[in-house]
Amino acid sequence: MFSQASHNSRVTPVDPVAGSPELLVRISELIEDLSADHVDLLKAFHRIQHEFGYLPHEAVPLLAGKFRTTPAIIFGTIDFYSEVRTAPAAETTVEWCSGPACLLKGSLNIRRALEAILECEMNRTSSNGNFGLRLVQCDGTCHLAPLVRQDGRYIGPLTVSESIEWARRLKGEDGAVQTEGEGAPAEEESSQTAQKVESE
Amino acid sequence: MTLPTYKEMWQQADEVWTRTARPARTLIKVGVATCSRVVGAEETLETLRREVQARRLDADVMLTGCLGLCYAEPLVEVIRPNVPGILYQLMTADKVASLLETAVAADGNAREHALAVMGDKEFGGLPALGSLEFMRGQVRRLMANCGVTDPESIDHYLARGGYEGLVGALRLKPVEVIDEVKKSGLWGRGGAAFSTGLKWEFLYNAKRKPKYLICNADEGDPGSFVNRNLMESDPQLLVEGMIIGGYATEADKGCIYIRDEYPLPVERMELAVAQARERGLVGEGILGSDFSFELEVVRGAGSYVCGDETGLLSSLEDRRGMPKIKPPFPAQAGVFAMPSNINNVESYTNVPLIMRHGADWWAEMGSEKHKGTKMFSLSGQIQRVGILEVPLGTPTSDVVMRMGGGPPKGRKLKAVQPGGPLSGVIPASDVDIPLEPDPYRERGVLMGSGGLVILDDTNCIVDLCVYFEWFAEDESCGRCTTCFAGTRRMLEILRRISSGRGRLADLELIKLLGSIAQNANCFHGQGAPTAVMSMFRFFEGELLEHVERKRCPAKVCRGLVRYEVLHHSDRLPAAEAICPTNAVVRDNGTYRIDQLKCIKCDACREQAPYAIAVVDEFAPA
Ligand SMILES: Cc1cc2nc3c(=O)[nH]c(=O)nc-3n(C[C@H](O)[C@H](O)[C@H](O)COP(=O)(O)O)c2cc1C
Ligand code: SF4
Ligand code: SF4
Ligand code: FES
Repeated sequence: MFSQASHNSRVTPVDPVAGSPELLVRISELIEDLSADHVDLLKAFHRIQHEFGYLPHEAVPLLAGKFRTTPAIIFGTIDFYSEVRTAPAAETTVEWCSGPACLLKGSLNIRRALEAILECEMNRTSSNGNFGLRLVQCDGTCHLAPLVRQDGRYIGPLTVSESIEWARRLKGEDGAVQTEGEGAPAEEESSQTAQKVESE
Repeated sequence: MTLPTYKEMWQQADEVWTRTARPARTLIKVGVATCSRVVGAEETLETLRREVQARRLDADVMLTGCLGLCYAEPLVEVIRPNVPGILYQLMTADKVASLLETAVAADGNAREHALAVMGDKEFGGLPALGSLEFMRGQVRRLMANCGVTDPESIDHYLARGGYEGLVGALRLKPVEVIDEVKKSGLWGRGGAAFSTGLKWEFLYNAKRKPKYLICNADEGDPGSFVNRNLMESDPQLLVEGMIIGGYATEADKGCIYIRDEYPLPVERMELAVAQARERGLVGEGILGSDFSFELEVVRGAGSYVCGDETGLLSSLEDRRGMPKIKPPFPAQAGVFAMPSNINNVESYTNVPLIMRHGADWWAEMGSEKHKGTKMFSLSGQIQRVGILEVPLGTPTSDVVMRMGGGPPKGRKLKAVQPGGPLSGVIPASDVDIPLEPDPYRERGVLMGSGGLVILDDTNCIVDLCVYFEWFAEDESCGRCTTCFAGTRRMLEILRRISSGRGRLADLELIKLLGSIAQNANCFHGQGAPTAVMSMFRFFEGELLEHVERKRCPAKVCRGLVRYEVLHHSDRLPAAEAICPTNAVVRDNGTYRIDQLKCIKCDACREQAPYAIAVVDEFAPA
């Protein structure tokens, strides 16, 4: 919709051996109708990431060609945005909210516990590649603070103990089967824990 | 020529709306917005649709937006013919069956789930929604449709007075519209509190074409979620506001820039724009006039400084979203160096109301100096997390302590952060000040965009400042040394203090860093030390306790505390079992904590609160 004078008209030749031909073809298809004159770069990021779960580096020269700029500029732009990821996500990614409501309700304790149990630092993938921990910003679901998310599912409010039990189940420790919870499992757990504490 | 088209549209819309407002058979409304979606509102909606059909009930099921009572989500309203709607709270899908049996099939009230009746009058022993503490004192103008209409229906919006403001505006000259907005006294709700009418005049006076009108829906302040609610509960209000803005400033193109973390608002805004386009409200010759305006939704990709107006411009230009150097100001050279205007969602959404009811009506609400209403979100240590709308000048305590219910039982209010990580904090002793910019500014604090975050006595002010400084450092665009290196240095010093290695000289260093931050290019760098300065001003004793006595009074700062087994209890095996690092160890039947293994996560104390305590690491026992 936006049109603009092209402020940069260098065209980068596409290197066809940089990735598998299918990948390159698919990326080209995804950005086919986009244009440098229409402020579509963010749209291109979203489409590619939606398709692959991340932005493969093979896309960079294609994007540079499409948006009439250099791969360095594209890389710089990708790097600037925290929601554009450049590596495939782990099989299971746990997202940890860094926001203030979660913080005030003890999210740092939960973070430390998750890092210890999943054997994974924040914004890294565990060495066996099974788990990833990702820091995310508050999206205003603070009534669940402190919360974590897994595959779009929000889990909160969590006590540290609940988060530990949850992470252990996720990992398949404790002999427990990995359950796909529904509804609001955290609430049930929290009342159980509350009882445990009271009965001391 | 103009009016009949609108009238026709309105008549059709009114028919659609009447079926909802005065339903001939039972109508069940389910609020689905980001806040309710995460607690299962979509499942509730699906289950209701399925079950109503399966049970052959004489009822309709409808989608609606969010009333702002996040603490009670998912909310379901059941309207039986000729009876006021009854609002049921915490309606997860598992409760649908019981709701249908009592509230719909048997025509009774599912009393154990009921929260209130809609409106201002009690009914059947249930309190009126307007009489709940959370609602009493609110004035819902912007939020009038939130949780009432279907956000995906332009007809609902039209029938309730929508686009009347636009019709009125199109009868006036652009300058007259600007005059009306100026007369209302509306100022920008995005943080800087600059006059909206004046800003529009700057763009109007710019003569180069094309001109751009941009909506800042980046809402990056963590703990703020008022813009989100408007976009997902009443998206047409923003579309109308932007069209009026486009007409008044003679802009050609509009753009709504929404943060990546808000997928539902993106969806609903895109649908709203498409519906408006279908009805000839966006595009060529709007409502038969010769005014044309294009509108598009752009989705961000995760960057706080893209919320700064010039950062947003850079982001729109397909580049790193780095704030630009001003001047030139956006009205002179904005996106692609063309004249542009940027306003917050809430600023635009006030305009249809001003044009519909007049500036005088609009300015009836508010304080002497600051007119209108303002939306706030409540989060943190508060009993009722939610979104509300009050006249400007309402005492902060009214909102925080009464409507929000204050901190959890047994705890004391400590401080309030009014609007974003750059805004600073006010102490509990100042909580009576009116919610408007001046009293906050007098205390070196910014009222900001309206995300109230509440602290209580279990929270540590140093810990919070570490967070704010981390956030500022993490989100700095990297242009100015005073900002990217200044915040990093500040963070290092604050972390040193919170780990027990603080020294008195640090306090002077922080103040020095705070003052050089004023040389940063944009308000991100300039505002980064605000919270730390509030700490010096209001919580110096607590800070000195950290530095001089190496003590964290709230026992939060990790480097200043440790966990110890102080008593015996039969809960200790549970503590041993929960510890993620096997730091609770048993020697000959007694328990102790292995300090080298302990990561200070608090889980063992949760399990055995009588036996295990958090003690000061350094202070004498
Ligand atoms: C770092 C930073 C982040 C900002 N984030 C937002 C934001 O998320 N939403 C917003 O409306 N304004 C934000 N602002 C303020 C904008 O720069 C600008 O003042 C505002 O959008 C103008 O609109 P208004 O006049 O309607 O308030 C931010 C400012 C800075 C410096
Ligand atoms: S103050 Fe910070 S965010 Fe703003 S332009 Fe400078 S470095 Fe970038
Ligand atoms: S605080 Fe956490 S790591 Fe330390 S002993 Fe307790 S449970 Fe274990
Ligand atoms: S702070 Fe975690 S959801 Fe708001």
